[in-house]
Amino acid sequence: MKPARVLAFTRKEVLEIVRDPITVSVALFMPLVILFLFGYALSFDVENAPLIIVDHDKSAASRALSDQFLNTTYFRLVSAPDDERVAEHALMQGRARAVLSIPPDFGRRLARGEAAPVEFLVDGTYASTAAIVSAYGRAIMYAFPNGTLQLPVQPEVRVWYNPQLRSRDFIVPGLFAVILMAFPPLLTALAVSREKELGTIAQIYASPLTKPEFIIGKLLPYAAIAALQLAVVLATGFLWFKIPMHGSLGLLVALGLLYVLCTVSIGLLISTLVRTQVAAMLVTLVVTLMPSFLFSGFIYPIFTMPAFFQAYSAKIPTMYFVNISRGIVMRGAGLAELWTNVAVLVVYTVVVLTLATLLLKKRIG
Amino acid sequence: MSASPVIEAEGVGRRFGARTVLQDVSFRVEPGEVFAIVGPDGAGKTTLLQMLAAILRPSLGSCRVLGEDVRKRPDRVQARVGYMSQGFSLYDRLTVAENIAFAAGIRDVPKEALVARKAKLVAMAGLERFQDRREGALSGGMRKKLALCANLIHEPPLLILDEPSLGVDPLSRRELWRILEAARAEGRSIVFATSYMDEADASDRVLLLRDGRPLALGTPSDLRKTARAHVYSVGTDAPELAEAALTRLPDVLSFQRRSAGEVRVQLRTAGVPPDIGPDFRDLKPVEPTMEDVFTVASAPAEPIAVSQTAVRSPSQEILIAAEHVTQRFGDFVAVDDVSLRIAAGEVLGLLGPNGAGKTTLIRILCGLLAPSEGRAAVAGYDVARQSEKVRSSIGYVSQKFSLFTDLTAEENLIFFARAYGVPSPEMKTRIAWACEHAGVPPSEAGLVRNLSSAVRQRLALACAILHRPKVLFLDEPTSGVDPLSRFRFWRMIAGLAADGVAVIVSTHYLEEATYCDRLGLMMDGRMIALGTLQALMADLGLTDLRVEDVFLGFIARERGQAAAA
Repeated sequence: MKPARVLAFTRKEVLEIVRDPITVSVALFMPLVILFLFGYALSFDVENAPLIIVDHDKSAASRALSDQFLNTTYFRLVSAPDDERVAEHALMQGRARAVLSIPPDFGRRLARGEAAPVEFLVDGTYASTAAIVSAYGRAIMYAFPNGTLQLPVQPEVRVWYNPQLRSRDFIVPGLFAVILMAFPPLLTALAVSREKELGTIAQIYASPLTKPEFIIGKLLPYAAIAALQLAVVLATGFLWFKIPMHGSLGLLVALGLLYVLCTVSIGLLISTLVRTQVAAMLVTLVVTLMPSFLFSGFIYPIFTMPAFFQAYSAKIPTMYFVNISRGIVMRGAGLAELWTNVAVLVVYTVVVLTLATLLLKKRIG
Repeated sequence: MSASPVIEAEGVGRRFGARTVLQDVSFRVEPGEVFAIVGPDGAGKTTLLQMLAAILRPSLGSCRVLGEDVRKRPDRVQARVGYMSQGFSLYDRLTVAENIAFAAGIRDVPKEALVARKAKLVAMAGLERFQDRREGALSGGMRKKLALCANLIHEPPLLILDEPSLGVDPLSRRELWRILEAARAEGRSIVFATSYMDEADASDRVLLLRDGRPLALGTPSDLRKTARAHVYSVGTDAPELAEAALTRLPDVLSFQRRSAGEVRVQLRTAGVPPDIGPDFRDLKPVEPTMEDVFTVASAPAEPIAVSQTAVRSPSQEILIAAEHVTQRFGDFVAVDDVSLRIAAGEVLGLLGPNGAGKTTLIRILCGLLAPSEGRAAVAGYDVARQSEKVRSSIGYVSQKFSLFTDLTAEENLIFFARAYGVPSPEMKTRIAWACEHAGVPPSEAGLVRNLSSAVRQRLALACAILHRPKVLFLDEPTSGVDPLSRFRFWRMIAGLAADGVAVIVSTHYLEEATYCDRLGLMMDGRMIALGTLQALMADLGLTDLRVEDVFLGFIARERGQAAAA
């Protein structure tokens, strides 16, 4: 390994990248597009769920219950018909997600200290939303009329790490992992296959440049771009989306650099195997982006998956950085809690780079 | 040390899957030798060179380069040779200086040596003024010269060059060879592939390849000896009649008109002068050229019927008329005030370096591009206002033969027939007619991508004439095709011209100019000369027929005028 040759190769690579402003701007712009798209559009919070209230009682108590529902940000009133059939029709149309139906003697029963049944209908089409809506509804009704829960067992449920259950605080740190798996390898894979397509690789083949020198020479500049992408998404996450940071930013950046080294290496490995840019792009998307969305725990938790898919998820490095990122940002975790994830990423990177070096042919065909 | 050969190849060959693309190649290259590998596209030249550069593993035989086995120590071979692949192998976004610095950097050239070597090479290539220009913004010839510089920067004992002068204008080609001559004078060996026979002629030894097998190997003079008595010169006052007579003789392989009074003939059998009847003055054997050697060496076992063509009679009908045609792209003038008239049955050869405006002119005449100034009519239709009608009355064969390579020959023919609106009942007869006129074997099966370039070229011609166009445009149709196939192709063109088709052909092979009725020389968008070869020669006061001299003569005159003005 001669540093001078690696340096010459890296220099050339940097010049090529810098002179292609479109690639550079796409490299920095695309991660932001995804970050904003998912940061704003993807939310599991239930707010303003359309609600219909059918109040047959029209008493002070029934109005008080209605107000309890509407005073939250969780529900908004769509209409208040007198007929259940109208309400059911609206539910079927999808105009309302829930119906609160208060029977005629609600106020009287309550005044007498009797049990007062109230009907709460929830549209179960979106299963997870329905669960949240019914939980909200139940919580409001249990706390009625005087805001205290009267149950024999007094549970003290406390939500740690994200007490307001803001889903953006959970999605954005996950997006860090997905975005840095999607774009850095794509750029790297295209850069090598481009040389193959244009035939410029022939002069690399017919030169003393060794395979490890080639791999490192390509890795360095693209890892630098990936580091830039890391900086851009972290800055946007913390400064624009104002995601609260509970851990060490330094640790997150350091492990983020390890992670992009890993993802860029995956791009290099793909590029040693394919010949054309189109193939590189397709393979990279299939290998990195698609599994990152589904099998990283970014949206769908891995612990609820069947064993087979849990094992599959473990093969994709995204999951480990989702753990690291959420661990540091949301739980304030340190290396003591995260070291297994870090170890996997280190081993992964070494294996992928070794494979890329072994599979790279300094030959045609 | 210097006595050991640079290359020792023993029965080298290469298979790709079940296909053998090269076999039984054995030769040695001594230090300081210039070794040419000659053959048409698909002969196996590139495969052989890649194996010599140790970037492709030979599947047959053994091969040592610079004393190292290319199979066992490819890294050592790769590190020491200079290898220039076909096409452009440098980085278009890097400047001239950066490309050279990169080549030096990955090849361990010490910093101290780099400055001096770079200065020398860049000066020799005439690139001093362009050091800060990006490679992609250079002309084709300059890019090739730069690639050569990048491969000489580490002073390799062996240079392996894959068609270094392909697509390079004659002027740059001379400069390229000046650099190579200097490298040779320093004792470097040069192995190169070429389709230019004059380059082969100037080499120490030549290997002729065809269909993956060696055809002949020797010094140019030895090779010429083998073709001696196969080549005759016919002096005649009626070259058309002499050519018609030659066409009828089965022993004739090919012939070229050398001037108004001379036709050159290549024969299958040695020492038997062709019997051409009364239409000649004298008949004498002549010294063969390398092109003749190739034609004779690649003669098929069975005579091929050369298509009979009627003697052409001059026509008065003007099919192409361009008046002061100019085409600007922004500030750039691609075609500058060109006027020409071509009659039915006439073949015009368009010559000129890359970027001279040939392709743009052809595009204007095809109705694909409306000229910025001036007007042009093709087959009686205005190219700007009636481009639809123009396009339906012309045939066009592009450089790349726009065939669908994943379809069979027949499927291509049917597609183009439908695209041109050939009525279904006529389809069969029309395809048969086109195949006959283009020399496509009727039973050609298999996908187009598996066909040889010569057959592809004929198929492209057949597809272009399915709708019986009155005007035919051929954009470098013969590049990469062997001499014998090129001869047959030109006979087809002559046959079509005899039927009254007007033909414009652009070509890089200057010797093909002899097949054309008139020549148009283009440079920097202008038509710097237009006329018969004889007229152009007389204009320059030349007597010996060398099209390259005619071409360079006019370029020199043009530059002189530009300098004087």
